[in-house]
Amino acid sequence: MKFQVNRDVFADAVSFAVKLLPQRTTLPILSGVLLRAEGDTLTLSSFDYEVSAQTAITADIEEDGTVLVSGRLLSEIASRLPNAPVQFTTEDNKIAVRCGSARFTLSSMPVEEYPSLPIVDGPAGILPGDAFSDAVGQVSVAASRDDVTPVITGVQLEIAQNRLSLVATDRYRVAVREIDWESSAVAEGVTALVPARTLAELGKIFGHSAQIEVTIVTGGDRELIAFSADKKTVTSLLIKGNFPPVKRLFPETVDNYAVMNTAELIEATRRVALVLERDAALRYSFSVDGLTLEAIGSENAQASETIDAHLVGGDTVVSLKPQFLIDGLAAVHSEFVRISFTKTDNPNKPGPVLITSQSSKDQPGADNYRYLLQPNLLLR
Amino acid sequence: MSKQDGSGRQVTAAPTADTSASILHLDMDAFFASVELLERPELRGRPVIVGHRGARSVVTAATYEARRYGVNSAMPMALALRRCPNAIVLEPHYDRYQHFSREVMRILGDATPLVEPLSIDEAFLDVRGAVPLFGPPFAIATALRERIRSETGLTASVGAAATKFVAKLASSRAKPDGLLVVPEADTIAFLHPQPITALWGVGASTEERLARLGLRTIGDLAATPLDSLRAVIGEAGAARLHELAWGRDPRAVTPGRDEKSIGHEVTFERDVSDADALDRELLRLSTRVAERLRRGGWVARTVAVKIRFGDFRTITRSRTLAEPSDVAERLSREARALLGEARPAGTGIRLIGVRAENLLPAGSVARGLWDDDEPWRETETTLDAVAERFGRGAIQRASLLAPGERRRSALSTHGTDSSTDGAAPSTDDVGGLD
Repeated sequence: MKFQVNRDVFADAVSFAVKLLPQRTTLPILSGVLLRAEGDTLTLSSFDYEVSAQTAITADIEEDGTVLVSGRLLSEIASRLPNAPVQFTTEDNKIAVRCGSARFTLSSMPVEEYPSLPIVDGPAGILPGDAFSDAVGQVSVAASRDDVTPVITGVQLEIAQNRLSLVATDRYRVAVREIDWESSAVAEGVTALVPARTLAELGKIFGHSAQIEVTIVTGGDRELIAFSADKKTVTSLLIKGNFPPVKRLFPETVDNYAVMNTAELIEATRRVALVLERDAALRYSFSVDGLTLEAIGSENAQASETIDAHLVGGDTVVSLKPQFLIDGLAAVHSEFVRISFTKTDNPNKPGPVLITSQSSKDQPGADNYRYLLQPNLLLR
Repeated sequence: MSKQDGSGRQVTAAPTADTSASILHLDMDAFFASVELLERPELRGRPVIVGHRGARSVVTAATYEARRYGVNSAMPMALALRRCPNAIVLEPHYDRYQHFSREVMRILGDATPLVEPLSIDEAFLDVRGAVPLFGPPFAIATALRERIRSETGLTASVGAAATKFVAKLASSRAKPDGLLVVPEADTIAFLHPQPITALWGVGASTEERLARLGLRTIGDLAATPLDSLRAVIGEAGAARLHELAWGRDPRAVTPGRDEKSIGHEVTFERDVSDADALDRELLRLSTRVAERLRRGGWVARTVAVKIRFGDFRTITRSRTLAEPSDVAERLSREARALLGEARPAGTGIRLIGVRAENLLPAGSVARGLWDDDEPWRETETTLDAVAERFGRGAIQRASLLAPGERRRSALSTHGTDSSTDGAAPSTDDVGGLD
């Protein structure tokens, strides 16, 4: 094998190929990146049986061939190479990399033992990259990071007519966002549960792509999803199991709500929360005079602050974990935010609050992001 | 501390300005029985026993009047009634005990944040930081006892000392309704005449071994060379008891999370290899663990299973729950999974146990938007209420009625806790708060 390739194009491709590789793997061979030179195309692939990544770039190929090299090492080398064309040559069992006056010799891992990447075939749908990236950022924050319950460590994708909805929960909050989805062939009602960590990376990778092609393969013994754009393809196994029916937790209508300036509320929450112990909740009292935040911390440290709020309906007091609220506030992407209060019959369980965007004091936001948060019990 | 009847009571009658005795041990007097008497004031001054009046049940609590007849908690009810035939037996109401426990802990928390609850009715307090605000330990303890009396109608005894061990010993000497302050300088004088069984960790067998050396009091033990002690009770025990006997106890009052656990286990008469029988036993054990969790107001973050195989190899396996739970259905489902993973199919099992670990106060756990345990919790708390009124076994899961390797008389078993099952003479349950 012998080829020459543009340094920046190569560095970008390697960085993509190794991004989704796990930090540690039980099989050393899975920490490799497979380089295949054929015709005028260099294909880079990685695969750990759960997630695969593949991309193709143009290269000057003198001699076809395939090698498998350590992904981390290649990525670090590629990102630090001088600005000059990169040359690859196989010499016996070694791979020589030359770039300007820099020389590296890498050992090759056995190509024949490397697993073949899943081939994804089936009806595809199209997503706009920017909206997808936004939605992933807004929703994946609510996914559980606790492996004890694997189904909720994923983001549920649900396909409806011309809409794709993304849903995530960690039991304490639920985030939902819908975006445009174009497809003639993918059946309505198809769902896919994608690991939140992988989806968050995908949001970054494809944020600038105009269109992302999405294929969902379900029903077989290996259920997976593929995303591709700009000659980059990522596949991921789906999480098995039933996602809890959390959409039904959202209230139909709410007539008791308050509208605040989003940035003001975030800043006030961060300030007042300074005295709180970890995991403790902050008290939010909504009245016609505004919203008062109060915190009581350890050793009698206290803090309070009042900000403007436009309240519709009766006075309300809720106790919320500051970080959970901020996650929702940071995700509405609007100057104002609406917090709606639901009622319950159970005195031991306050009704959840709903966070939605608001384009002005009086005008609800046009997007359809919804964030539902379970308040703590009021202790006094 | 073998006597629980208040004889040999010692109290500090006059106020003392001593501030060295800044660790308090507060212990409610005959807590369960006293709570029951709040509802039945006409029974005050009479011997009262709390527990079920069943043949196999045990005494949950007894008033001091009943204790004078030799009635103690955990004693079989039948024996208690033989010793004190005039005793009035009242059914226990665990929700009330829980309520009053919270009230008492709340009052203690007003004096200092350094409150370490030991159980439902006792706690350690470190009041060093509270002295500048509220005065010396004597004043703080007196104020706490008065507040508890005026706000709950219950009495508490307090021991104040420089260490936890001495404070706990002092409260037991002050009982009932007393306060004993042992200033640091008087520690040895207070400690050394006490019987050797008052030392933490001296049970019947250690007592017997020490008695063979002629040691009867703590002072005797303190005067014995460490080497002689080591020979009888081992390296670690000797060092620890010697330290305690000289009033040295470095343990600090640590508020907050209790490293407690609640477990039940059973030894089979014959090794059991039938999977259904084992699952049924896990459900039965989980049911008892969950009852005690709910009664104590706890939820468990971790479930552990202890398995002793026929060859005496013993293993413990545990797993963390997605959400802390106090529901038997959840505990038993996890326990079954743990057993399934740990037991090669068909292996005979000699002993099996279920333990709830990493306990948290039920109210301290943030509620989720939904709760998978909720339907089961409702069912099980209903069962609790029925069991409280009519005794355990009055109602239970149908799956527990299936014929097992043991407990053929499950229906006739009454009692608040483990009791020997006469019809199936196998080892009885071992349960306890560790």
